[in-house]
Amino acid sequence: MSAAVDRPRAMAVAIAGQLAVGGALLVGVTLLSFVLMVHFGPDASFGLVGKNPTAETIDQLREQLGQNRNFWLRYGEYLRELMTLDLGYSDSTGERVASMLARSVPVTLALITPGLVLGNLLAIALALLAAWHRGGWIDRLITGFSVVGMSLSVVIVIIVCQLLFGVVLGWFPVRGWNVQDLGSYVHHVSVPTLATVFVSLGYNTRVFRAVVVEELGRDYVRTARAYGASPVRILFRHVLRNALIPIATRILFSLPLVVVSGSLLLETQFGIPGVGRLTFDAIASGDQPVLKAVVGLSAVLFVLVQVTADLAYRWIDPRLALR
Amino acid sequence: MSALSTAAATTNATAPLAPWRNTLARLLADRWAVTGLVVVASFALIALGAALGVWAGDWAAMTAPGWSPPSAEHWLGTTRLGQDIAARALYASRTAFEIGLAVAVAATLLGGLLGGLAGYCSGCRASTWVDALVRWLTGVLEAIPFYLFVAAVAFALKGNPWAMHVAMIATFWTGTARLVRAEVLRIRQMAFVEAARMVGLAPSKVLVRHILPHTAPIVLVQGVIAFVAAIKAEVVLSFLGLGGQHSISWGQMIAESTSEVLAGFHWNFIAASTLLFVLVLGVNLLADGLQDALDPRRAARSTPGPGPSRSADGRLARAADIG
Repeated sequence: MSAAVDRPRAMAVAIAGQLAVGGALLVGVTLLSFVLMVHFGPDASFGLVGKNPTAETIDQLREQLGQNRNFWLRYGEYLRELMTLDLGYSDSTGERVASMLARSVPVTLALITPGLVLGNLLAIALALLAAWHRGGWIDRLITGFSVVGMSLSVVIVIIVCQLLFGVVLGWFPVRGWNVQDLGSYVHHVSVPTLATVFVSLGYNTRVFRAVVVEELGRDYVRTARAYGASPVRILFRHVLRNALIPIATRILFSLPLVVVSGSLLLETQFGIPGVGRLTFDAIASGDQPVLKAVVGLSAVLFVLVQVTADLAYRWIDPRLALR
Repeated sequence: MSALSTAAATTNATAPLAPWRNTLARLLADRWAVTGLVVVASFALIALGAALGVWAGDWAAMTAPGWSPPSAEHWLGTTRLGQDIAARALYASRTAFEIGLAVAVAATLLGGLLGGLAGYCSGCRASTWVDALVRWLTGVLEAIPFYLFVAAVAFALKGNPWAMHVAMIATFWTGTARLVRAEVLRIRQMAFVEAARMVGLAPSKVLVRHILPHTAPIVLVQGVIAFVAAIKAEVVLSFLGLGGQHSISWGQMIAESTSEVLAGFHWNFIAASTLLFVLVLGVNLLADGLQDALDPRRAARSTPGPGPSRSADGRLARAADIG
């Protein structure tokens, strides 16, 4: 009874705690990316001064660029840039970083979403199947395949997919992103999606299977079985609903990492103009404004997702709110 | 007195080894684990031979015309520059072991120490800030996508050949620290720790002598996982042009081969990716077997992969991230 009364209060405490943790993490990630990329980053003044500069001209230029200012002032400036999305101009193209991101983010989302959705759904289905037949040949087959899958490097998967579907069979394009309508979208997205699914399937199936196995051992499953509930009903109505929180957590937590890292590889190898390609070019050419924007923003997004997810779970699942 | 101390000495000499002997017996009874062990041992032998100059010492020599097909002299043909592909692939296993061992040892030691310290200090009135600091650092490092972090570190270290190693060690310790911290929190409440404290041992001695040794199974498994993650990460980093340049690695060979495979020259790719896949699969099998052997209850549940309580942990997100 008292639990019901305490719930709003527990929720308030949880919100305050999460905000404190999230704030500390935000300071940490921005500070880390600032120190690595701005503080230790390249000195733009070398490229801008003319031939045979004197010490004064260099100093003047640094003054103009604000590089002589105090560490914390420059950090504050970096924070302001991230918050207002006023991220400056690319060193290599001179374009506004914000508009480069606005153009490439949708491409990356379009590229990565089908693979993420399919990969996770397939992994959940395989996990349910394997866990239900735990110890049997289906289980052993699925777990065996997932070990093989997680042992294949993503690079190998991408190259083999390209080779097989692009060169040998010639069904899909190997490079480029020439999308006007649904047909051309499917045409371009198929091979990257296949590669994404293949890469993530091994790990995901293993972890999800462990979650489902744990859930299947609980008393309510035994009770449901005793009442004669069908396997489908037990798995989907009872087990999956309870297993969904850890599974959703894993998907959410892997999201920013998989999106950025996955798109980095896919887009460079398939020549697709998304965030990954943008980042790769920035790494290759040492384009600091782009790199610090991508690193800073993705880290901030990750922290925000984490904090929101934690609060959402407490809202959905009252058991968590009282922990 | 002396009889007592010799009796204590003999039990000390044999008793701590008994669980390890049982572990080894369980490991050797698992045929997949033994397969993994044999694979890893063979690769270690190849790497050792290459390091001692017994074979593959001439991997850089240009001995034949470029892109020669396989022959009696060059088993797998030659590269564009006329270097023997077989020798390069064999020598690259030395590079893989160098990176894997360096990263695994450094990252797990760092993670074990920081995680142990955090767990031990957690909740203490005077030093709970140590725990908060370590957890904050873990959260910060896990919020930045791995490849972006490596790019940022490479940016900061300006082409330092160790940038890749530094970045991997700086990120891979967090998973170990999380697990060791949780384990220390559990062990800390056991009676023998209380007894050690009652006898008047200094807190540092209680931690190092009595608590940390019990985290050895976790650290061992994490070391094997870090080893394989480092090898896989090197491949992707070399593919992205962020890897080391001073030696030959499978990642560099695959990066070299990306343009070749589309032109129909496969040997570079096949040699590097086959060796990479076999070694990674072997290590994964060994890691699974090791986990089961160290924790028989886990084996009885026949739940491969980490338990559900750890399904949201950062290491797994990281593992998927590395691909």
